[in-house]
Amino acid sequence: MPSLQAGYAPNLGIFLKSLKTAPLESSIENLISLLKRRQIRNSRPCAIATAHLLLQVVAKFRWTDIGNLLERIQEVGQRLVEAQPREMVVGNIVRRVLGMIRDEAKEDRTEDASDSTSTSQLGSPRRERSESGSFRTEGGATSSSPLRFVSTDASTLSEASGDDVFGGRSQPTSRPPLLTSHTSYAVLNGVPVQQSMFNLLSATPTPSSTPPHTSSPHGKSTISASSLAQRIVITTRDLKAEVISGIEEIIDELDQVDDQIAAYAQEHIHSNEVILIHSSSLSVQKFLLKAAEKRRFTVIVAESYPNDHEATHAAVTGKVSPDVEGDEMSTETFLKPLSAAGITVILMTDATIFAIMSRVNKVILATHAVIANGGLIAAAGARIIAKAAKVHRTPVIVVSGVYKLSPEYPFEFESLIEYGDPGNIIGYGEGALVDHLEVDNPVYDYVPPDLVDLYITNLGAHAPSYLYRIVADHYKPEDINFHKPELQF
Amino acid sequence: MASPGNIPQNEKSKSFDIVETYHQLLKEDPDLTMPVAAIEALIELLVQSRAVTVYETLDLVKTQSDYLKSRIPNSISLSAGTDLFQRYMISSLKPSSTGNFDTMRQHLLSNGRLFVSRAKAGREKIATYGRHFVRDGSVVLTHGGSRVVGALLGKAAEASKSGGNVRFKVIYVMNDARSSESKAVVSTLRAKGVPVATISEGAVGYAMGKVNLVIVGAEGVVENGGIISRLGTYQIALLAKAAGKPFYVAAESHKFVRLYPLGQYDLGIDQEVIVFKTDKEDLSSEEKKFAERTPEIEEKKEYFAPGMDMPKPNTAVDAVDFTPPALVSALITEEGVLTPSAVSEELISVWW
Repeated sequence: MPSLQAGYAPNLGIFLKSLKTAPLESSIENLISLLKRRQIRNSRPCAIATAHLLLQVVAKFRWTDIGNLLERIQEVGQRLVEAQPREMVVGNIVRRVLGMIRDEAKEDRTEDASDSTSTSQLGSPRRERSESGSFRTEGGATSSSPLRFVSTDASTLSEASGDDVFGGRSQPTSRPPLLTSHTSYAVLNGVPVQQSMFNLLSATPTPSSTPPHTSSPHGKSTISASSLAQRIVITTRDLKAEVISGIEEIIDELDQVDDQIAAYAQEHIHSNEVILIHSSSLSVQKFLLKAAEKRRFTVIVAESYPNDHEATHAAVTGKVSPDVEGDEMSTETFLKPLSAAGITVILMTDATIFAIMSRVNKVILATHAVIANGGLIAAAGARIIAKAAKVHRTPVIVVSGVYKLSPEYPFEFESLIEYGDPGNIIGYGEGALVDHLEVDNPVYDYVPPDLVDLYITNLGAHAPSYLYRIVADHYKPEDINFHKPELQF
Repeated sequence: MASPGNIPQNEKSKSFDIVETYHQLLKEDPDLTMPVAAIEALIELLVQSRAVTVYETLDLVKTQSDYLKSRIPNSISLSAGTDLFQRYMISSLKPSSTGNFDTMRQHLLSNGRLFVSRAKAGREKIATYGRHFVRDGSVVLTHGGSRVVGALLGKAAEASKSGGNVRFKVIYVMNDARSSESKAVVSTLRAKGVPVATISEGAVGYAMGKVNLVIVGAEGVVENGGIISRLGTYQIALLAKAAGKPFYVAAESHKFVRLYPLGQYDLGIDQEVIVFKTDKEDLSSEEKKFAERTPEIEEKKEYFAPGMDMPKPNTAVDAVDFTPPALVSALITEEGVLTPSAVSEELISVWW
């Protein structure tokens, strides 16, 4: 299936250009291989690529009910995550899109229910996925079910559709037409559904705790089946536009996130402060530049040799190294270097961090990913800095877009750390040395939550212990493990 | 009709004793947790009662809950159940919600078994979440007879059998006062092929260096995210913190209880743990008052007719202690893995 007609795409810019013309399936394969080969790397490019790809998936996929669409996005998302599990933003963006679709569907459904007397009760989506097999047979057997109309509808449509590469995969399933979120707004037998702690006593069967067949997903519907089917066809079109604009909003957010974070800069950086930063990060750079508009301060830059020192030097001096090219360059090169913005910049090696820490007023760290327990994955060396800051009671601030916040709970922190090219430390030219040594080059560090004092995201400043709340706001619980079906309940 | 403050011992409820029902339920089903047993007892109460109005029913449930709480030496865990039950009734009857009294009552009466099975399924779910914390080659330290922890470790052991390749070991802290329970836990784990080492409570600090993570259960999870658990949990948590080992708590969310203890002696229950004695028995009453027990709270005297026995304070065997949230790395609940600060939010959503 992977056709290379879109051409060899070495970076994000070319990939985004090829998206418009290339067939969907080849774009997916293309992104997978780009992720695998690390030709698209770091959080932001990965997030942008994923969001654009999902936009195409939604646009080109012919679907009649939300269930199909969710399944399709899960399937694509799973492949992307498997291609590069350490780029956690890929999974985050997929979850955001899934959650947004669920919200849109729910909204749509509420409007739908409000203009009719329908009290139809749908199964919860989690249960939906895990038991889709049994549901299919059930739906087929119930002749009075409105779902039959949907299913025939779906199959005729997918036969007719030519532009969808989903082809052989599309199954004429008879799913309930629309899925609601995990807590249904609907009322079953007059007993309202409650919040999570009430799950124990609530009337709606929770996915895990009831035997599979105690309740039918079809419920009772007072509107005639055919009119329902018709309504679904109409609403589908609106929904598609809404979903697409929702993804575009996510893409916009990715564009604006650094500026939004930078808006908080002047609250946190004061005149004549000494700030320690580490490695190169667009977010941190914009943050400091914004503060420099009004204040004069000193920045000590730890260069993070050997993985990121060239980019760090470039951020300080404004000289772009020749190997940075393409799309990433376009924004970064036009940023003022720190030294040009009137900031006193001191460049140091990572080894001097502890010695200098007593002079530092604040540490500002960039991240690769933030995890739900409040810890973060950042460029190697970040933990040393955080630890040194802890010893000196220096506050550690982390700037990060919300899109980097991952709901996955890291069970083994070692598994999150990637090992990079050891050639950065000892060149392959030094054969005699390489023969006798084992050279490791970890690219990332895990910084535990108790070493961080404050997170600044595009939503504002948060304590590390509050991050779980932002996770809950941004991702639906049923999407958290979308790429690991064995963890679904 | 029982009015608040009176002992609910009128002719109607004579045949039904909620305390007895509660004990009976716990005895019949060893897998039942205290909050769920309390909920079951209250459902049983609704079945027996002939209350017809909303107020009458709420009042009856409230008085009987208070009565039940006053008769159990350590009512913290069960109060989570009675509170949840009452909040559920009240919020179902809010004008904003569409429920009405009869359907709600009917729902509660007819689904008693369902709640129990849900509570047990919740345990399974915690085990499924929690088993990922137990990695290959890790050493888990645990103590007490928590069924959730038992299920969790059992699940992890199953994963290793089915090719999941999780070869973990358990260090179990024996409790001399409850040696039969400790032995049962240890033999269950050993039967599943998990290597178990038993240590005494004095050896926890010694063993901590070999431990990768600590998993304990809890009787109650309080508002600030701290836990109330079997005596000895607090010291294990302190030692784990000192050694930099993660300390996880596995507990169902129905154990979240609205209580904000400020310290060990602020739990609202009587515990006879610290007992000062000298050789001569005749301490003056003043001295006795000062020295005899850990600080106590005022008993709910109104529930005790002159002839009735007061509940005995907790002795060291079933005493509990309070582990502050700063020592807890994460709570493994059926709602997911939560930070301690998430508990207050869950509680707020139920109470307001």
